[in-house]
Amino acid sequence: MASESSAIATGEWHPANSSRAVPAILREEGVLLVAVEEGRTLASAVPERIEISPRVGSIPRRVRFPDGSVFETRDNDGVDGYLRVRRGPRNGLLHRLEKFHPRLILMTLAVILLATTIYRFAVPVLVEVAVLVTPPFVPDLIGSGTLASLDRTILKPSDLPEGERQAISEGFSKLAAQSKGGQGAYRLNFRDGGVIGPNAFALPDGSLILTDDLVKLANGDREMILGVLGHEIAHVEGEHSLRQLYRAAGVAALVMLIAGDVGSGVEDILTQGGALLALSYSRAAEAEADRRSVELMRAAGYDPVALARFFAVLEDKLGDHRDASILSSHPGTPQRQQDIRNYAAQSGGRLQAR
Amino acid sequence: MAVAETAPRAAAGQSFERASFTGSASEYFGIWIVNVLLTIITVGIYSAWAKVRRKRYFYGNTVILGRAFEYHATGKQIFIGRLIVIAFLIVINVGTAIFPPIGIITPIVILIALPWLIKRSLRFNARVTSYRNVRFDFVGTAGGAFVAILLGSLVAFISLGILAPLASRWTWRYVFNNLRYGDRPFSSDPALGRLYRVWLLPALIVFLGSLIFGFIAFVVIVGSATFMSESANLTDTQLTVLSIAGIYAGVFSYFILYGLAGLFYRAGVRNVAWSAAMLDGRHQLVSDLSRPRYAWIAISNVIVTVFTLGLMRPWAAVRLARYVNEHSGIRINGDPGEILSSIEASGAAISAEYMDMEGFDFGF
Repeated sequence: MASESSAIATGEWHPANSSRAVPAILREEGVLLVAVEEGRTLASAVPERIEISPRVGSIPRRVRFPDGSVFETRDNDGVDGYLRVRRGPRNGLLHRLEKFHPRLILMTLAVILLATTIYRFAVPVLVEVAVLVTPPFVPDLIGSGTLASLDRTILKPSDLPEGERQAISEGFSKLAAQSKGGQGAYRLNFRDGGVIGPNAFALPDGSLILTDDLVKLANGDREMILGVLGHEIAHVEGEHSLRQLYRAAGVAALVMLIAGDVGSGVEDILTQGGALLALSYSRAAEAEADRRSVELMRAAGYDPVALARFFAVLEDKLGDHRDASILSSHPGTPQRQQDIRNYAAQSGGRLQAR
Repeated sequence: MAVAETAPRAAAGQSFERASFTGSASEYFGIWIVNVLLTIITVGIYSAWAKVRRKRYFYGNTVILGRAFEYHATGKQIFIGRLIVIAFLIVINVGTAIFPPIGIITPIVILIALPWLIKRSLRFNARVTSYRNVRFDFVGTAGGAFVAILLGSLVAFISLGILAPLASRWTWRYVFNNLRYGDRPFSSDPALGRLYRVWLLPALIVFLGSLIFGFIAFVVIVGSATFMSESANLTDTQLTVLSIAGIYAGVFSYFILYGLAGLFYRAGVRNVAWSAAMLDGRHQLVSDLSRPRYAWIAISNVIVTVFTLGLMRPWAAVRLARYVNEHSGIRINGDPGEILSSIEASGAAISAEYMDMEGFDFGF
């Protein structure tokens, strides 16, 4: 042979679809790329018709000939050297980016920055879009399903006297009539809360649950109960629980998409833990609901700051003097009372000025 | 790195060889962080190609008898699969908004189609895997998947886990007895007695754990009741705080218990099912994971990953892969001879991607 052939890499050659392996050398012979075994040509083709698997770390490279036979080698550098000459210096760029190098620190910082940006800005937008496209029966389904399962497990029928319930319901109707959805959008349910104690909560379909213990805690102050109910109406109006649900699901989905493989343990924490997290409202949602309670109460002709009285009772009985806590998503009670009074004074002032 | 000898191991002899993992955390970190960065920059599109690079890295570093596995799916294949799944989900959601009953019918349809999706997903994953230039294949039927996986899960669930070994037996028999390496079949018939032996410890963890946590809960409630009677005016609310804290503690301990038991069980069942499996009727697979060690690696991996906000995930993934590989092996009995691949096309990635999104992972 006139032209000196140059070896690219040593490895093994497999006939098409066969496990049989022959020690071989990959080399360039003129315009052809050939796999040879001690001078015997095993396969050859023009480079254009040959597939070479892209480099990933230092795993074996596969050079696939048109006849289906494969030359496999661990000599990644040999193959890369050949490809850079043949296909230009940009070849294998991805692998060079991935190499362990101080540059990776920069990339890590970029990832942290981008991830924070996504969390702060993209997630809220995605949540809003999801809320917008949610068909109305979804909250209904969640609401009725949750109430049914709560009734089976924790809640018991209310023991309150009929007159008491009647009176609260009447006030509640007046309050609901002032909300965006109108009176028909809400249903008030009385229950014995069992272990959950004095509490009131709203389900996304407009079902509100008021526990007997809360009524007892109010000690005859009905306006205070209505203040709490106004707060819960606001949660439904603002679709806060749906938002929280989407938020938890969205964060979990994004983490799994972006990180690719987070491991089954972390995956479980993201999905199950996210569901737990979805049960609580964010600090901003609570503050919004507090303000809305003031507005609804005033519009219905009640004391706008009745909700603040509830927090005062809570503070008194529960000894909840925290200003805010890292563990809780709720602003501390003293702070909330103050915010409610401030807001009532502000918005009240505006009303009078008009 | 020494290139393996080409001739198959000593003909007619018997030899036992363990698998190994040749990758490293630092090498994989580079691949992973570039995957993450490009996925973000391309608004998720690159994730399909990222998956291929990740899979190729792990398959390509899984070495046994001197040869590595290879993952053959392409980024385009995965991307199209995902696109179709997402399009399907969007159509369903829009359809439901227009005509609500669709939202009730769809889950039923998916449930009916699930065995078929499982079968297709297993087949795809087998077909994109090769070893020594020979592809794997999966020939299981949808009916088989229905019994092995859906019915099995139902039986395990209804019996509160008491019949879980039965379900595991069905599942692993379905997987192995339908798996092919080229023209050679795998087979496995894990004995129920052995499965129950590895079931015992996780069952005890759940049982005794519940007793202990239940006892603690009891003490707390009684304690708070005593406390209540002493300080009358803190009654209801104090109890509320305690019971809400109790509910969270209960849910948390439930996760820990089931998570721990699940890890022990998974490792134990894998040992039994693999060690009962044969390739070509004579080469025996072996798995000898230590259950506490496996559970420790999995749990500490989760903790490290969470506390480093994911940055140590590559290290964790490599660590687990190394441990699992080093405790898997094969006992070669006689010359395997030349093995031929019979399949050509891997088929579409749709089912595999759908199952992947739903959280099923049937990797080999």
